[in-house]
Amino acid sequence: MSAESYTAAASVEEALEAMAAGARPIAGGTDLVVGARGGKAPLPDALVAIHRVSELRGIREQDGGLVLGALATHADIVASSTACERFTALADASAIVGSHATRNAGTIGGNVMNASPAMETGGPLICFDAVATLRSASGIRRVALADLFTGPGRTVAEPGELLTELALPAPKDGTGSCYARLEYRRQMEIAIVGATAVVTLDGGTVRDARIAITALAPTIHRVAEAEQALNGSDASDAAVHAAADAAAGASRPISDVRGSADYRRAMAAVLTRRAISTAITRARGGRFPIPASPALHGAVNGGAA
Amino acid sequence: MATAEKPFIRQDGKDKVTGLGRYTADLDMTGMLQAKFRYSDHAHARITRIDTSKARALPGVFAVITHEDVPDVRYGPFVQDRRLFAKHKVRYEGELVAAVAALTDEIAQRAVELIEVDYEPLEIVSDVEAALQPGAPLLHEDWASYGASEDVVREGNDCSRSTILKGDPEKGMAEADIVVKERYVADMSHAVPIEPHAVVAQWQGDRVTIWSSTQVPFIARSGVATTLELPEAHVRIVVPHLGGGFGGKCEFHYEAQVAALARVAQRPVRLVFSRREEFLAPDHRREGQVLELETGVRRDGSIVARRGRLILDNGAYSADAPFFPQLAAMMAAGPYKIENVFVDASLAYTNTTPSGSVRAPTAPQACWALEQHMDSVAGQLGMDPVEFRRRNIVKNGDEGPTRQVFEDIGAAETLERAVELIGYGKELPEDEAIGVAVGWWPSFGIASGAYVKINGDGSATIITGAQECGTGAVMALPLLAAEILGMEPESFSLLYQDTDAGPFDSGASGSQTTFNNGRAVMAAANDVREQLLDLAAEQLEANRDDLELKDGAVSVKGSPTKSVTIPELAEAAHGSTLLLGRGADAVPEMPASDAAGCTGRLGMESFLAPTFITHAVRCKVDRETGVVRVLEVAAVHESGRVLNPIGANGQVEGGVVMGIGMATLEGSLLGEDARQLNPHLLDYKLQTASDSPPIHIGWVDSPTKPGAGGPKGSKGIGEPPCVPTPGAIANAIAQITGARVHELPMTPARVWEAMQR
Repeated sequence: MSAESYTAAASVEEALEAMAAGARPIAGGTDLVVGARGGKAPLPDALVAIHRVSELRGIREQDGGLVLGALATHADIVASSTACERFTALADASAIVGSHATRNAGTIGGNVMNASPAMETGGPLICFDAVATLRSASGIRRVALADLFTGPGRTVAEPGELLTELALPAPKDGTGSCYARLEYRRQMEIAIVGATAVVTLDGGTVRDARIAITALAPTIHRVAEAEQALNGSDASDAAVHAAADAAAGASRPISDVRGSADYRRAMAAVLTRRAISTAITRARGGRFPIPASPALHGAVNGGAA
Repeated sequence: MATAEKPFIRQDGKDKVTGLGRYTADLDMTGMLQAKFRYSDHAHARITRIDTSKARALPGVFAVITHEDVPDVRYGPFVQDRRLFAKHKVRYEGELVAAVAALTDEIAQRAVELIEVDYEPLEIVSDVEAALQPGAPLLHEDWASYGASEDVVREGNDCSRSTILKGDPEKGMAEADIVVKERYVADMSHAVPIEPHAVVAQWQGDRVTIWSSTQVPFIARSGVATTLELPEAHVRIVVPHLGGGFGGKCEFHYEAQVAALARVAQRPVRLVFSRREEFLAPDHRREGQVLELETGVRRDGSIVARRGRLILDNGAYSADAPFFPQLAAMMAAGPYKIENVFVDASLAYTNTTPSGSVRAPTAPQACWALEQHMDSVAGQLGMDPVEFRRRNIVKNGDEGPTRQVFEDIGAAETLERAVELIGYGKELPEDEAIGVAVGWWPSFGIASGAYVKINGDGSATIITGAQECGTGAVMALPLLAAEILGMEPESFSLLYQDTDAGPFDSGASGSQTTFNNGRAVMAAANDVREQLLDLAAEQLEANRDDLELKDGAVSVKGSPTKSVTIPELAEAAHGSTLLLGRGADAVPEMPASDAAGCTGRLGMESFLAPTFITHAVRCKVDRETGVVRVLEVAAVHESGRVLNPIGANGQVEGGVVMGIGMATLEGSLLGEDARQLNPHLLDYKLQTASDSPPIHIGWVDSPTKPGAGGPKGSKGIGEPPCVPTPGAIANAIAQITGARVHELPMTPARVWEAMQR
């Protein structure tokens, strides 16, 4: 594990210049450094550190929506009242990434560009119509999160492009959301199965449902069949079950050390159902703890809950 | 309160908590090189060619060694079946073929990759039952020619077989009203100390000093001396702070290979394992087991007979596992009155990482199977599982599986206290239940020594061969000496874990530090006490029998003004005969047993100062996902007399959490090529602090007779706390789901699959 060169950029321009010359950006290092130590992939030859670039920091509200600087940490997102109240699924996800240390060091920009099919925040960002701003020395472009991921560890970003911010438009009134993850333990967990639900109610009727599944295919994606099962329905248990089964049906799980394909498919239905039910509860104004996952597994004992 | 029972701050505590503590990997020396190992490319293959020339030619490489560069010596504590480097064959994925020392880690890694090794792959044997089938490929074709202890019963891939026979099990089974037979399988797991293995070696002339992250410095010294053909006096092992071991750093590991590299390179050499290496090549992991258990009972709940067939996984080579079959057989009988017993236990060679003692070897797995089996039998009887245990658990005067007669034990009391502490029988939500399991564990009596010297100012130093692995057992030794010498524990310094300084001790293993070295330190302190009293009698011109030693001074009973302080005595002694105490207490005798019908007797035919444990665990199961949460644990131990409650409670808390990990998540999976599929902490899931439930601890005070146990009638406490936890959790799961999980660990997927059946 060794990088040949390391520079710390003071501005976005400096970072982009270094990237144009072949450097890879590093912020919290929770994927790059851990991956290199674990033998997953060596560190890139040239690194440009962006953690001192102040314009990439922070979370701000914009027209009722949310703008996340690339350096916003998972802990920053959980501390944002706007995120917790109106983008609750994103808060659910941010609150359960790795450990306390991961959440304090790991950034949303790094999490997105690492493009893991098991990343927690991917489902919520896609369902909330997040748009990524990609800048390079030669220009700027905006890409919807749904179009950003092309495979495990792969995105549409060019080598010289830096993710600078993520913009989430204001959700419609009557929206509730939830991200639920299967958890074998209480901390240091990785998604074996995850599900996002963003549900907008109009009276008793589901006006808009967004459902995405995580760690169940090479990329995180929305499931149209599941959304159709819920849209226009009365949010009854039957509709929720139908949507959850549709999500499980659309999953393409693998068998590996973390679980068999059969188990994952069965859990896809369970977790999607729990995510939708909790999103509906929240859409109706009901309270449900953030993060939702420990409570959905029956949190009782000491520690995080 | 006796001194030994007072809370105290351990001497190494501040260093470890603040990060100032230096561990082996922190050592740095001028000119030091970095070591890397070349591991086998196959789990089972014949080596046809090794060419190190390209590696040697790489700039920055100072040494490349293979089997050709070290003496051709086979070693092993029970069976001498392995070499420092593979010669003709490789037998598991973590086997060493070569080692490199170079200027940097990166150069060493590149050099390792440049070593060319050609193989002829052989059929892989990774399943213990297949290994013992007639016609299975032999891992060690020359097994019969290996040196081995005479008592080890061996045959082909069965490296060590032990049987326990009591009464007439056939007849007993025939007389039973109900017979229950079950099969359980436990996967291999690991010790996972937070500090991976590290070794630094430096030669001065023909003598070598080796800093090592070992739990057993004297055994490591002996291993180096044997394999490099050196006198023990030429080998010094020093252990800086040790970052945990749990058995994974018992036995002799990589001290000799690093010393051999340093000799060739003529420079100090440092080896530091990665986490992945810590999984693949620790040379000491917890063995998998296949257990078939059969129990015959009468309608009244009394057990008539127990039969068992156990196959344990030895891995590719023998560390200390050859005594495991006999120990596991005792565990499969359990702390119960059973008139007729036959257990047949084998240790199978497989193409996997060698097994060895990991905290209470064999016991958590065997107890997990037996205690589930006990609940199954109770279920068949229609009897409450606690009541079933109550009717069969051993009491004073009862006989064990080899007719050892129990004295001064409190097994039944642990059961009663544990069910009381957890509130057994109380109303619970429908997705919760309480599971109970009982276990036992021996103490190990082994030779051990210590010195106590009084310094010129009246402070004192304990010099011991004992090893501190993090439990605090060595740190607590001053408490024992202070009480005898009427001094404060803070007045003592400790010199420990250095083989050139302290007398022999068998290390941080077998829960033996306080049990054996505690007695040695007390003997040394008593030796010094006699010297202090002799000197005081002279100084005070008093009759020695009229003197008492307390609060830092010797005074004449009834005349407190006639007194001399320890500092005054120390000053006087430094002008004449120094105050030096030596201690090496006799090893307690093994309790009598009748093992006439038993084979493979390797020291476990009776249990010295046995400790008894009951854990009662309240669990919750998420029925849709199979996720198990342990909500609350009551852990009651009979450990003789508890000497240091803070230390003892710490052992129970850590052991219970380790037991929860073994129960629910910790297990290694193997691919078809016999490689571990999850050799990293992301997919080998340990418990975190957030997973730890409240643990209610109880102690049943039941000291042994003098000379039959440890200091003041105490028993070993390091290992027992993880023994019954997995079984108790298993029983709670079965009660909640109605489905018994027959595989360990009981992962969410396995719990869920059991519910689908």
